Amino acid sequence: MLDESAALEFANSSVKSALRSGATQCEVGISISKRFACEARAATVTKLEQSTGESLHARVFVDGRKATLSTTDLRKSSVDALLKGLVEAAQFVARDQFAGLPEAHDGLRDGVPLNLFSDELAARKAEPKLEEALELERRVRSADARIHNSNGSHFSDASTITVLANSNDFAGAYRSTRAARSCSPVADDGSTKRTGSYGTAGRHLSSLEPVADVAKKAVQRTVELFGAKKPHTMRVPVIFERDVASGVLADIFTALSGSNISNGNSWAVDRIGERIGSSVANMCDDGRLDGALGSSPFDGEGVPTGRTVVFENGVLRSYLLDTYYARKLSMKTTGNSTGGGIAPNTFYLAPGACSLEELIASTPRGVLVTDTIGFATEYATGTYSRGAHGFYIEGGERAYPIDEFTIASTFAEMLASIDAVASDLVFDSSIASPSFRVAEMTVSGN
Amino acid sequence: MISGFESANGMLDSRLFDRLLGLALARGGDYADIFCERRHSSSFRLQDGRIHEGGVTLTRGVGIRVLVGESAGYAYSDDLSETALAHAAETASLIAHEVNSGIRSVRVSNRSVSPLYDQSRAEHAPASAYVDLLSRADIAARRFDPRIVAVNASITDDLQDVWIAGSDGRLVQDHRPLITLGVQAISKDGNERGSGYVGDGGRSSIDFFQTRTPESIAVEAARISVVNAEAIPAPAGEMEMIVGCGGGGVLLHEAVGHGLESDFNRQGVSLYSGRIGERVASELVTIYDDGNLPDERGSLSVDDEGTAGQHNILVENGILRGYMQDRLNASLMGVSSTGSGRRQSFRVLPQPRMSNTYMPSGQSSHDEIIAGTKRGLYAKSFAGGQVEISKGDFVFMVAEGYLVEDGKITAPLKNATIVGNGPHVMTQVTAVAGDGRLANRHYTCGKGGQYVPVGVGMPTVKIASITVGGSNVG
Repeated sequence: MLDESAALEFANSSVKSALRSGATQCEVGISISKRFACEARAATVTKLEQSTGESLHARVFVDGRKATLSTTDLRKSSVDALLKGLVEAAQFVARDQFAGLPEAHDGLRDGVPLNLFSDELAARKAEPKLEEALELERRVRSADARIHNSNGSHFSDASTITVLANSNDFAGAYRSTRAARSCSPVADDGSTKRTGSYGTAGRHLSSLEPVADVAKKAVQRTVELFGAKKPHTMRVPVIFERDVASGVLADIFTALSGSNISNGNSWAVDRIGERIGSSVANMCDDGRLDGALGSSPFDGEGVPTGRTVVFENGVLRSYLLDTYYARKLSMKTTGNSTGGGIAPNTFYLAPGACSLEELIASTPRGVLVTDTIGFATEYATGTYSRGAHGFYIEGGERAYPIDEFTIASTFAEMLASIDAVASDLVFDSSIASPSFRVAEMTVSGN
Repeated sequence: MISGFESANGMLDSRLFDRLLGLALARGGDYADIFCERRHSSSFRLQDGRIHEGGVTLTRGVGIRVLVGESAGYAYSDDLSETALAHAAETASLIAHEVNSGIRSVRVSNRSVSPLYDQSRAEHAPASAYVDLLSRADIAARRFDPRIVAVNASITDDLQDVWIAGSDGRLVQDHRPLITLGVQAISKDGNERGSGYVGDGGRSSIDFFQTRTPESIAVEAARISVVNAEAIPAPAGEMEMIVGCGGGGVLLHEAVGHGLESDFNRQGVSLYSGRIGERVASELVTIYDDGNLPDERGSLSVDDEGTAGQHNILVENGILRGYMQDRLNASLMGVSSTGSGRRQSFRVLPQPRMSNTYMPSGQSSHDEIIAGTKRGLYAKSFAGGQVEISKGDFVFMVAEGYLVEDGKITAPLKNATIVGNGPHVMTQVTAVAGDGRLANRHYTCGKGGQYVPVGVGMPTVKIASITVGGSNVG
């Protein structure tokens, strides 16, 4: 198993090997990850998984022709042979004036530590982790008479070394940790089974929500929908609870990413500078938030991360770009490269001042969506449509639970009619959002 | 000796498997197995009329599992030295707690497998052959209609070799080809944009595209794209639904299939738990899951636990007949594995999964079903779907849909979503046509973060009532 400096040396030597085989430019990344995962059901540890895995990713450019490699076979002879084959495969790729490594830059931005690694987490023994999963099970199964089953309670963590080197003299490495705990109780009221789940994740043990809170929220989500009715079809204000809200942001991110913009596969093509959202639609992507899961010193092609304002008071200010699509669109990279695609650092909606409860209280009639199922693929048209469940709101209160309905609109209409944002933003994922309200959407039921 | 799977010290051999299985069971346990995988993929992607990127993926490693009661210990290694593999076996053994169990003696030997697909193709085709198919698809899609403004196409040719050794003495090998060509066409008609995606391929080689030409795939994608650009907003609310033959099979996969996977049933979390022999659908409904269909994506000579794929009857004339079983759940439920144990790679534990799930033909006809519909949604194909296992609520995104009024198809509908409840919708099936077939081969199923290729199929089916989630409140 490679350590940090040996991995960096191997990445550098692989870059040189690709150049010797005829590449004009090359980038090699190596990831070494020690992973732990366990599951408990009732009083039994039902899964215990522990491994260390290595993988290597490379991009070679031969006069603007690009080919990529991913391998788990890190023997030098194997990697060298694969790189040689890659240079040959690149001959079949069209020359592209925009393809290539990022320009050499002045190294990492400010050297401010990002707090991505927890010694405590990396050194933690298996026993307390197993005990956490068992405790989650005890708590959810004793919380409500209707809960006597579960899909399991989980704890997982990983300690990862990430290194990247390229032929423009970039060489960087960092260590990071992450941990997550979650549970998924199943309740049965005699006629219907319902599953709910809740989880928390972070780079440090201390940034995870406590076991008791995770269990409590999972239980609440599982039982709160008993007796749900199917709502009537109507147009009403819709409040997205924060997890569902971050799902909306994920679709917005994809539509704004350079590949979709460049391919015309987005509702946001040619709209920079346009007022698309309401005045509370403020979104940015930040790679340098202290201790956040989405933070890293450099992106997947070695560009230092930073902060990109995406929507400012509803005005679209930037797409999310890597070096290739930035060049193609005559823009500058936003440091969102994964090395093969575009992904968020931490993409989030700026929080407002009120709590979710206050947001509900200020809604005379509407729908609170607590979960959605389904996924959009239509970025070209910008249509949003999901199966959903949650609560019907009447007189500023949760009147009764509802399910088996859909909500639909377009992303542009939703952004334009966000009229209130709550304060419940938590950076527990690379996409995060506080709860927000859209002034009017179609709810389809009976 | 296991050919083609070299370790740092030479070759993995059967006696090494014996030693590793012995170590894995040293603290006790009911069963242990070793999953060795070598997977080599070659892919090319076309964008803006040019080959944009070529890629190679090599996955190579070993996963070792120990089962004890309902528990599993697991460890994998991408380092194939005996030291690293022995460490993985010892780590996996930690799930068991017997003291002084002593090293168990295991001796594995080759079991023959009836292969479903060509076991001899060890190499990819020349790069020029893949690139040529993509260029042909690009040209065909653009020629179809001047409104096609962008075409993205990709081809992936995947060769996976697996060796599975179990403490019951089994040692099996399978060589699994899988090729997929996908075309996305984007059209622009005034201010309206449309998108269409079609993919096809299977457990075959590049020769597959001699009969199923890239042109035919591209034209289908372009046609759907233009239809979607012309489509009107879907109406919202309850209406009749006609599910299209082939691609409509996604409905069975989500609405019923996942609920019949044995892990959910053994644990009692599925709404189908404990209901074998009961009526769960209209008597017109029969559903099979068949891992033995030639060329289909979900087919396997042996599953990822070394059990042969088979024809499984899930629902027969509306009666629930059986679940899809992997080894762990089958043994806890006192039945046999149905060859449904699958995994994404050596880094993860197997799960009970679907292979090719379909409904056979019935007695009605497609035209009769359309003619007999007063007002409904004709969902010709789905872009994907999702289900909640306990209650059975599902959602599907319609990839190509039409409004049917007074027995006639009247207008294409934009991005309709349907929402419903699996067990309920299966009681609402009122007609099944005679045009049953498997869908284009491009579906991939996700469960617990693991993705595996599957097949789906269906005849044209009428459903009395479904909720459509459009934006147009009529």
